Amino acid sequence: MRRLVFLLLLTVPLAAQNPALMEAVRDPNEDVYIGKKEHVAAGAELYALACAGCHGPTGEGGRGPNLVIGPAAQNKRPTQIYNGIKNGVPGGDMPPFGSMPDEQLWQMTAYVGSLSRPAYEVDVPGDAEAGKALYFGKAGCSKCHMILGEGGALGPDLSDAGLQNYMIQLREGVLEPNKRITSGFDPVRLTTNAGATIEGVAKNYTNYSIQLVDRGGKLHLLPTSGLKEIVFLKNTWMPDLTKRFSEDELQNILAFVSRQATRVSTSDDTETGSN
Amino acid sequence: MNRTTSPIQRGVLTFLVLTFLMTALGLVALPAGAQVTYENILDGPDEDWLTYAGDYAAQRHSSLTQVNTENVSSLVPKWVYHIEAGRRLSSIPLVYDGIMYVGNSNEVHAIDAVNGRKIWNYRQENVEGGARSNRGVGLLGDKVFFVTGDCYLVALHRKTGALIWNHQYADPEQGYHCTVAPFAYKDRIVVGVSGGDSGMRGFLTAHSADTGEELWRFWTIPAKGEFGADTWGPKTLDWGGAGTWMSGSYDPELNILYWGTGNPWPDFYGGDRPGDNLYTDSLIALDGDTGKLKWYFQFTPHDVWDWDAQEFPVLLDLPYKGKTRKLVTQANRNGFYYVLDRVTGEFLHANAFVDKLTWATGVDKSGRPILVEGQDPQPGGVEACPTVRGAANYMSPSFNPNTGLMYIIALEGCDIYTSSAREPVPMAGFAGTGGEKPPRNGNQFYLRALNPTSGERVWEYPMTGPTVMWAGTLSTEGGIVFFGDDDHHLVALEAKTGEHLWHFSLGQQLFSSPITYMVDGKQYVTMVSQTDVFTFGLFEPVKPVPMVKRTREQ
Repeated sequence: MRRLVFLLLLTVPLAAQNPALMEAVRDPNEDVYIGKKEHVAAGAELYALACAGCHGPTGEGGRGPNLVIGPAAQNKRPTQIYNGIKNGVPGGDMPPFGSMPDEQLWQMTAYVGSLSRPAYEVDVPGDAEAGKALYFGKAGCSKCHMILGEGGALGPDLSDAGLQNYMIQLREGVLEPNKRITSGFDPVRLTTNAGATIEGVAKNYTNYSIQLVDRGGKLHLLPTSGLKEIVFLKNTWMPDLTKRFSEDELQNILAFVSRQATRVSTSDDTETGSN
Repeated sequence: MNRTTSPIQRGVLTFLVLTFLMTALGLVALPAGAQVTYENILDGPDEDWLTYAGDYAAQRHSSLTQVNTENVSSLVPKWVYHIEAGRRLSSIPLVYDGIMYVGNSNEVHAIDAVNGRKIWNYRQENVEGGARSNRGVGLLGDKVFFVTGDCYLVALHRKTGALIWNHQYADPEQGYHCTVAPFAYKDRIVVGVSGGDSGMRGFLTAHSADTGEELWRFWTIPAKGEFGADTWGPKTLDWGGAGTWMSGSYDPELNILYWGTGNPWPDFYGGDRPGDNLYTDSLIALDGDTGKLKWYFQFTPHDVWDWDAQEFPVLLDLPYKGKTRKLVTQANRNGFYYVLDRVTGEFLHANAFVDKLTWATGVDKSGRPILVEGQDPQPGGVEACPTVRGAANYMSPSFNPNTGLMYIIALEGCDIYTSSAREPVPMAGFAGTGGEKPPRNGNQFYLRALNPTSGERVWEYPMTGPTVMWAGTLSTEGGIVFFGDDDHHLVALEAKTGEHLWHFSLGQQLFSSPITYMVDGKQYVTMVSQTDVFTFGLFEPVKPVPMVKRTREQ
């Protein structure tokens, strides 16, 4: 109780000073625009014209801050985003867009807010069914990425990919698989003292041992005393899909992967269900 | 419902599509590798430790002898694995094929059992109710199973931690949360529920290990109109508790599953639940295929002291009055040690295994306690013994067939019990009130070695400490009883005499029970502290490791 009083004392003056906090109340427009497919789509078009120049085409930031991950994006209420767009940042680079019609401001709010939601909650465009056929078929994704027990082990499990990633992360994973490496999937080649080669991904390693899944999916638990050399490879085992598949096909794969989510209610299955 | 386990959608459609695709395109799944089979678990604990209690009979007796009474004095720490999110770890690690699996709240760690290095960690975020206890994992086939606090049974690929399926088997909105270590037998996984101290209706379910599909459900509180429903009264029948939060034991020949059930609700006030309150505080024997009740035995009818019957039921085939019988025994939280016929449930014997026992003078010929007047909790408090924690609890017992002794952890103690006749509102944290330590009461833990059929005390090992631990025992063919004491130690005693052989301080109160296993011809002993997994082995000098050439392509 004492703690609560302390917090209240702390919060009241802060809220009085900070318009953003004072305005963090629910606006009736939220029910009209936020999470509504057609408004998010309209907001995306407006974003491309008005915002992408500074915040990047997918919200990844540039002259302006990243709108997907980071302090500008996280835990912002729709009214805060709306006010940020409407009023701009006084004294900063962000201009006010208050001269635009209110409906358009709310549509942009809906789109910008959606950028920092897990991919599953964003209506990622594309044909998820076609993406599924590619995933388990000619794109070969399932050779390495398991979904609910179907597939290989050389890449991260994607059973909950839509909940565990932002869209921007999934896009990067598909289009630029070597940009960063997921922990536990460091591509590696070992040479044993006997001269044999084992290629795969390192789950973990130290000066004394290495835990590795080889390209055939077999798990090896090895002391380094049996090894001649460990080479961490520049590129992951993931092929460059951009060379073999059209933009539409890649978008379909993304649409499929973004919809992978367990522990979600079935009510919206008609729109997003793929399992 | 969750859509990962809709059997028709997934089972038929996905199977057909994937089979076609995988065949057509020559895709291969992960190599099967070594699989944990039902037969492996039947073999009991040897190199591997495959189920919570080590074996289906819950004897926790390992066949390993490399660490024995002659050399246990040179047992040294081999590695420590820190569980970052670990707070009060109470799970029992399982080991198979050189990999150790440790459960924690909403997560599983797979560890290289030789050197304590992480292989993978699966963590479920955003779990309703946050971090609950977790009692460990189950193993079967290529999967490792655990439950989340919000009652999803989750199957992971045991080599990679990839999610195979998850299935919510109880609804937190109905008062449930889940902590149980999944119990694997034949082709199925059995899980239970917690929440009985705040109102819910207990049950056990069996699930297909392949898909998570529910195969049967046994309600530990009867529905209106069913046998036993008249032991409740109308107010509490739908919320009467009888949790199933500990794993059970299993007789493969009889195909009977034995499971202890929890307290009635409200725990400490019985006025709103007139009658025996079936099947609370009972041992239930269920048909392994159908989940139908074969028999039950209630230890504490109309319990008002919160004495769950979830201490492990230990299965023994021993001579009883001159004739070898299939027995099941339990050192119960209420202070009596029970021996039953496990085929029929016939009561054979009970005796007090603690000296501080005031609520009953004994049991009658049917096993029913003979109550002492005035021991029920009262608004102003009543001192009664044992304590709320019980004379025994989830601390694992063990049995050594060579010494013929049953090793149990006993708490000598009393509490002041209070009650409240307030209208019972479920899921509001109301237990009808509780018990508190009397000042200067001298509560104390003991490890006691009992004759398994007479309950007679053969020797005991007293502990020091604040009586806050929850650690149990392990018996080995090497002639040792390992156990965690009330002062942070893992201790080794000579199994026949109870003489001290070895100890090591883990630096924290202990809430788990030790296990032992072997990899590459070396035996290890593992004990989990509140935050870390400690593994011990016989001393051998560490060989220098030459630096391996390690490069990173640019």
